Amino acid sequence: MEITITGVNAITYPSLHIWNWTVSVYLFCGGLAAGLLIMSAIANLRAGPANPEDRVDTVRAALLAPFVLMFGMFFIWLDLERHFNTYWFFLSFEPAAPMSWGGWGLGLGLPLSLAYALSNVSQEHRQWLRFDFLKELAAWLNPYLKPLAKIVFALGIFIGIYTGVLLSVLVARPLWNTPVLPIHCLVSALATGAAVIILIATRGSTQLFFTKINLWLITTDLILMVFDFLGHLTSGASHRESILPFFTYTSQYFVFGVAFVLIALLFPLALVSMLLCVKEGNKGELSGATRFRMKLSAVMVLAAAFIIRLAWVYAGQLTKLS
Amino acid sequence: MPRYVMVIDQRNCIGCYACVAACKTENDVPLEHFRTRVVETVQGEFPNLRMELRSELCNHCDNPPCVSNCPTGASYKSKDGTVQINRNRCVGCKACIAACPYDARYIYPGQGFADKCTLCIHRIKQGKEPACVATCIGASRVFGDLDDPQSKVSQLLSEANSSVLLPEAGTRPRVFYIRKQSKPD
Repeated sequence: MEITITGVNAITYPSLHIWNWTVSVYLFCGGLAAGLLIMSAIANLRAGPANPEDRVDTVRAALLAPFVLMFGMFFIWLDLERHFNTYWFFLSFEPAAPMSWGGWGLGLGLPLSLAYALSNVSQEHRQWLRFDFLKELAAWLNPYLKPLAKIVFALGIFIGIYTGVLLSVLVARPLWNTPVLPIHCLVSALATGAAVIILIATRGSTQLFFTKINLWLITTDLILMVFDFLGHLTSGASHRESILPFFTYTSQYFVFGVAFVLIALLFPLALVSMLLCVKEGNKGELSGATRFRMKLSAVMVLAAAFIIRLAWVYAGQLTKLS
Repeated sequence: MPRYVMVIDQRNCIGCYACVAACKTENDVPLEHFRTRVVETVQGEFPNLRMELRSELCNHCDNPPCVSNCPTGASYKSKDGTVQINRNRCVGCKACIAACPYDARYIYPGQGFADKCTLCIHRIKQGKEPACVATCIGASRVFGDLDDPQSKVSQLLSEANSSVLLPEAGTRPRVFYIRKQSKPD
């Protein structure tokens, strides 16, 4: 017999609304900071004794990362219902709770990323630091640049994966509950980090280098997204239904359909644009138009990454086991 | 220690909502929120329809995802097996709400802590039944110690087929359901 549910009483049925856009901003900023830290750390660890002018873009990324992290942490703090109880995160450690790992990871990671940022400031650029104690701290930290780079590399990997684990451990929300999500978030974090370096870089060669990196990252991102959807499609009924918001253009789900179309447009557009830029860049001198197109592609990557997080946070809450 | 469970005998539920009202009164549950609810679903194809009345509440799971996902230890499994919340430790991060497959939790408006059914632990300590059980006119809700073979819950569960909600979630719930079709007429 075919069973159809024709009615559910609305009086006492819960309408779930857990997290809103502030969590999306947190996940986006956390990923972006992770990407900046990883990219900057790799650059520092692989580089030999370089001319300070050659390192300027790496230094910018390192300086930006802690502020992006702080911005994201501010938004997750805003999302807490009891702001003044935040200290409880640091009075306990719950090994099974990803949010506890995140609280400690970010709590320790923020000062570490600040120390790493300061260690990047070379003697030639220390006059830009406003306060004397910062100049002294930067001078003291500078010899520890490489050890700190190793630490923030691990920290970046941790934060990048954590932004996905936070959602993927929740069995109750089938859209989030997939092992692909943490890897997807890490790759997306690296792509956004590279995108921001393209935007803030002063040198065309840096932009071209990170555009090449982003080509691979965006391709991986797209493949992971397809696998994510396929994993849900070939799984149980709850998982199959969990991806419906992205493909059902009803009034309830329309916004998710639009988000999916935007993601499906922005990533391939960025990919093609980057490919063309790399082709032109490989020929020789980078023109102003090519550099502009690289920046535009980077903006598209950032926009798509934010839309993904926004859509996933909201759509995941509509899904449940059945 | 006792092993408290609740058995919901759906054969006896008439959908009067007395349990919902008693719970709200006993526990001062805020407007628009519920610690327990009666879900009504109509299934089948006309004219062969069947209505199900299913009381839902916190399942006080043996493997509670709300507890494992709580970053501050505010949600905890007490010695009697019930899942409780230390309101002072709660930061209102809503991880427990997201983690609960039964949608049993909500944020208490104005105070910001996560709230849910406590199985009326304050009444149990006084030797009383939970308010929803005490008020149930059809004796649909039955509460007791599963480790006591003489308890009504033990007897009910031994004589009828029972099921739990969303067993695939792996939470090992302590609220058991005896469905209408579970015992041949």
